[in-house]
Amino acid sequence: MKKINSILIANRGEIAIRIIKTAKKMGIQTYVIKTAKEPNAIYLNFADHICDFTERFDEIPEFLDVEKLIETAVQYKIDAIHPGYGFLAENPYFAQRCEEEKIEFIGPSADVIYKMGNKTIAKQIARKHKIPLLEGSKGNLANADQAIEIAKIIGYPVILKAASGGGGRGMRIVENDSQMEKNFRLATNEAEKAFNDPSVFVEKYVRNPKHIEFQVLADKMGNTIHLGERECSVQRKHQKLLEESPSPALTEDLRKRMGEAAIRITQAVKYYSAGTVEFLLDADGGFYFMEMNTRIQVEHPVTEEITGVDLIEQQIRVAQSEKLTLTQDDIKINGWAIECRINAEDVQAGFSPNLGTIQKISLPKGEGIRIDTGIESGSVITPFYDSMIAKLIVHGENREKTIEAMLNALGKLRIKGVKTTIPFCKAVLTNKVFVNGTFNTSFIEKDMEKTYFQEKDEEMLAAFFATYNYANEIREEKDTWVDHEKGKNIDPWLLNKRLR
Amino acid sequence: MKLSFKKRSSSEPVKYITLGKDGKKYEFIYSPTDGLRVNSKKQDIEIIDDADGFTYIKFKNKKFPVEVIEQNQNKFVILINGVSYNYTVETPLSYQRKQIIEKTMKKSKTGFVSAPMPGKIIEVFAEENAIINEGDVLLILEAMKMQNEILSTISGVVKKINIKQGDNVNKDDILLEIRQ
Amino acid sequence: MDVNGKIFKKFLDRRHSSDLHLEQAITKQHAKGKLSARERIELLFDRNTFEEIDEFATSAKAGSDFGKADRGFGDGVVTGFGKINGRLTFVYAQDFTVMGGSLGAIHAQKITKIMDLSMKMGAPIIGLIDSGGARIQDGVVSLAGYSDIFLRNVQASGVIPQISVIMGPAAGGAVYSPALTDFTFMTKHTSYMFVTGPNVVKEVLNEDVTTDELGGADVHARKSGVANFIFEDEENTLLGVKRLLSYFPSNNLENPAFIESTDNRFRFEEKLRDIVPDDPNKPYDVKDAIKLIVDNGRFLEVSELYAQNIVTGFARLNGKSIGIVANQPKILAGTLDIDASMKGAKFVRFCDSFNIPILTLEDVPGFLPGVNQEYGGLIKHGAKLLYAYCEATVPKVTVILRKAYGGAFCVMNSKNIGGDFSFAWPTAEIAVMGPEGAVAILYKKELAEATDPVKVKKELAAKYREEIANPYIADEKGYIDEVIDPADTRIKLIVAFEALESKHVNIPSRKHGNIPL
Repeated sequence: MKKINSILIANRGEIAIRIIKTAKKMGIQTYVIKTAKEPNAIYLNFADHICDFTERFDEIPEFLDVEKLIETAVQYKIDAIHPGYGFLAENPYFAQRCEEEKIEFIGPSADVIYKMGNKTIAKQIARKHKIPLLEGSKGNLANADQAIEIAKIIGYPVILKAASGGGGRGMRIVENDSQMEKNFRLATNEAEKAFNDPSVFVEKYVRNPKHIEFQVLADKMGNTIHLGERECSVQRKHQKLLEESPSPALTEDLRKRMGEAAIRITQAVKYYSAGTVEFLLDADGGFYFMEMNTRIQVEHPVTEEITGVDLIEQQIRVAQSEKLTLTQDDIKINGWAIECRINAEDVQAGFSPNLGTIQKISLPKGEGIRIDTGIESGSVITPFYDSMIAKLIVHGENREKTIEAMLNALGKLRIKGVKTTIPFCKAVLTNKVFVNGTFNTSFIEKDMEKTYFQEKDEEMLAAFFATYNYANEIREEKDTWVDHEKGKNIDPWLLNKRLR
Repeated sequence: MKLSFKKRSSSEPVKYITLGKDGKKYEFIYSPTDGLRVNSKKQDIEIIDDADGFTYIKFKNKKFPVEVIEQNQNKFVILINGVSYNYTVETPLSYQRKQIIEKTMKKSKTGFVSAPMPGKIIEVFAEENAIINEGDVLLILEAMKMQNEILSTISGVVKKINIKQGDNVNKDDILLEIRQ
Repeated sequence: MDVNGKIFKKFLDRRHSSDLHLEQAITKQHAKGKLSARERIELLFDRNTFEEIDEFATSAKAGSDFGKADRGFGDGVVTGFGKINGRLTFVYAQDFTVMGGSLGAIHAQKITKIMDLSMKMGAPIIGLIDSGGARIQDGVVSLAGYSDIFLRNVQASGVIPQISVIMGPAAGGAVYSPALTDFTFMTKHTSYMFVTGPNVVKEVLNEDVTTDELGGADVHARKSGVANFIFEDEENTLLGVKRLLSYFPSNNLENPAFIESTDNRFRFEEKLRDIVPDDPNKPYDVKDAIKLIVDNGRFLEVSELYAQNIVTGFARLNGKSIGIVANQPKILAGTLDIDASMKGAKFVRFCDSFNIPILTLEDVPGFLPGVNQEYGGLIKHGAKLLYAYCEATVPKVTVILRKAYGGAFCVMNSKNIGGDFSFAWPTAEIAVMGPEGAVAILYKKELAEATDPVKVKKELAAKYREEIANPYIADEKGYIDEVIDPADTRIKLIVAFEALESKHVNIPSRKHGNIPL
């Protein structure tokens, strides 16, 4: 067992701060990376040490520069690297380089990252261990025609997915033969861009499924538990916007069966650290393994809230080769938790990023409210990174009360300077289909008439405010008084010479 | 020889007609003696600036956070409760003028497609002189690591393409001109 | 006098016919979405200050049809004077309801009369233009009328501020008077300007084009640069005129108008430190910087939509008017091209004519390269801006925000062409050329041999930036007066302009210089 005394956080924003908080609690020194893109970001204030990456001349973005990160860890004699989510979190090469340099990678082994990261291999493993699956191509596709052939067997609609993908990028739904050519090109193009790997595969597309994922935790000795599910069906273009735990759709029996399946696949690959097994759940309770995310998830706080387990702490303990002290029986689901992702996006303009400076932010406070954020008043939302401003997590007694508390908290969360997804979150939480729990991944397109919440009289008041400002401006203009007498007082010395 | 035109005086009510994008219309009349009337109904609206730099409208005992996010002459974009609304504020005269112009003006034959956000042009599908229909994909713009399809809002002939693959564009840059 | 008698009645009848005409004019103009000439005047002037002259002048046969409203009332133009923001101002407003506002003999005579008065009084003149053009019936007399106006426009140029407001058609010869004045306003959709109309274009070139597409407000604001300001409606247009006038002196001997400042004279603006991004190639909006520097964030931009790579406009510093010329890194990286040079030059010359000090905010990587630019005469057009700056004797202060490279550094009010004070922010890069270009020349061989030339080039560029392209060398040699904290900019500028208030430069007497045209 090797005690970790220092961690290099190869990430930014709220997750960097989240990791630092646990590290502080455990008495571990933290190192963060300062980039030229956001040299004043607040995560820098939390860390014990700052590694300056502002003077770099490479095209590779800072958090993707494997060699530079490894070099930094070696230079500062840092014991471990936490990759957070995104960036290099699921890059097997990075994990392998850590292993080579005897730096503890806080996450699973490079081998497992590779296997689970490649969806084709992951599926083969799942198939071997009798985990229910959605059928599709046996491997990567060579061209669009091949995809059309497979689609003929499994039937439309089908979905094209990037083999090394995640987070919705490189995914395209195809309804018929004629759309295949274009979508194939777009999917490979996007996959190439996002993951440096153009390979895509095709599989049957389940319409309107629920997206349910299980949080698992395993140590290096093979002890594995799950910490219940997360309901992530509120998605737009495969981007999660609001998550909750537990899911209103799961019965105790279903939870048990899905949880077991999650553990089975986790053990099958000798997984250790925290991970997430994603399933699609259809209306009849049939579930299908989709993929395993070999990292800490953005939405991990909802699980932490209802189970009381600090997932980052567990990740670090596993990395130190500690044995899991928790057993499956220790995991009790306590109440309900919802997370709203507050992104700098213009919901009214199709969720397009709304870049700019957060002029002011005021956060709600109170019992059961948790906010994970990496910004403060004056922070800039840059085009270089994702548009997340904060995660607002509310923990309550039951679903009904949690929804109410969340609406209340959203009302108190005020952000000036950019448009955010707050009106969207309010609209979801007040939607009947959401409230009764029967929603699925097509919720936004199908069940939401309006993607943003409007309060009564709001439109009229906005019109009033425009008018008020305009009227004031005109009045000010009309009242302008020019002191022209002062203009006539000219130094005779000057006046004499002003004429030429 | 003074103008024999009706004189303005300060006690006269001020009237504005405020128009929304979707045909919403509000009439605001304010006079120092009568107060504020919205669509001829008397209303009590208060504007509060708090110490933290937020502005609120207080109406029927409710507080609405509000800010002006864009203004160009009489065109406003107001953000209230995080939702934005576009309004043009018109005086009775300019409102009348607007109605006349809408009726008499020939619609411009050229439509412009502009960039909705800053980003990089990944692929251009449109070709000059090609006939396109409303909703056709013109090009792909990458921003925030996402590829966004830019669709045509009108049908017509592509008159001019101002960009090429690999170009970086700013918000509101005109990408294409389409002639109806 | 017997107020009920015949003599006074005749006087009253005349007044009545004037009211009658006004009513008709309002109905006619409102039907087109326009205001009548008198309503426009009413909006422009301070309440009850307008005095009309030559109200009953007419080119119709005198005598028998005297005083009838439909017989060429006022000959299609309202002229007079009054106060705008408390200052004497002269105006002529064409009345489209009388013979299409066409320019006839008396019409022209009225305009020249009011122009002469404004010249004698040294007060600004505003033309509200809404006219079908020359009155064909009057033949050569109306052409002579135009010429009389043009001559006065030129004589008044640089003596009193002249503003043209296009509120209806202005075609053919009528466009040249606005072109000779200092600023042109246009109202969207109801005003247009062109030398030859759509019919002629159709005949000669067989091209279909609408009036709005050929000479509408948008076209002149964006493409031709003829219109300096455009507005949605006439009320806003006239408000804009008032706003612009508030920055001017009444004539070339006065100092610009003063408005008591409510802003803090000693405002230390920390936000200015975040304006220029750390990445030297990243764009930013220079207007953000301007708004943080000037009084109450109020900046009136001139020619906002034309040649947007240079920003020109008026603002106040501690109550006193200044003209601002700034490179706009957001557009074309702030390079100077033909249009930007002309826009800047015209603005600088206006400020110089009317004793308005000039503040230059510089972030210019150079002149825009390209065949079109060279063929188009970038050399001579760029020279206009250079000439204008050299020629200007008003107080001139420069702040270098970031890039100041090559010839463009000289042009943008450098100390050696007469800039009075030059400040630089610590982010300034002053050198003969940008790092990438310089490195490519200086280390040509090394780069060719390098295994990773992109990286080596970047490293060398950073070294160049560190050692050469910074404000400190210029500061040590005296080409910069001081490297300042961006947060101090407002305070420094106020002090600098105050010190320069009694500036005077001896220049050789001559007829006039020969600006490269």
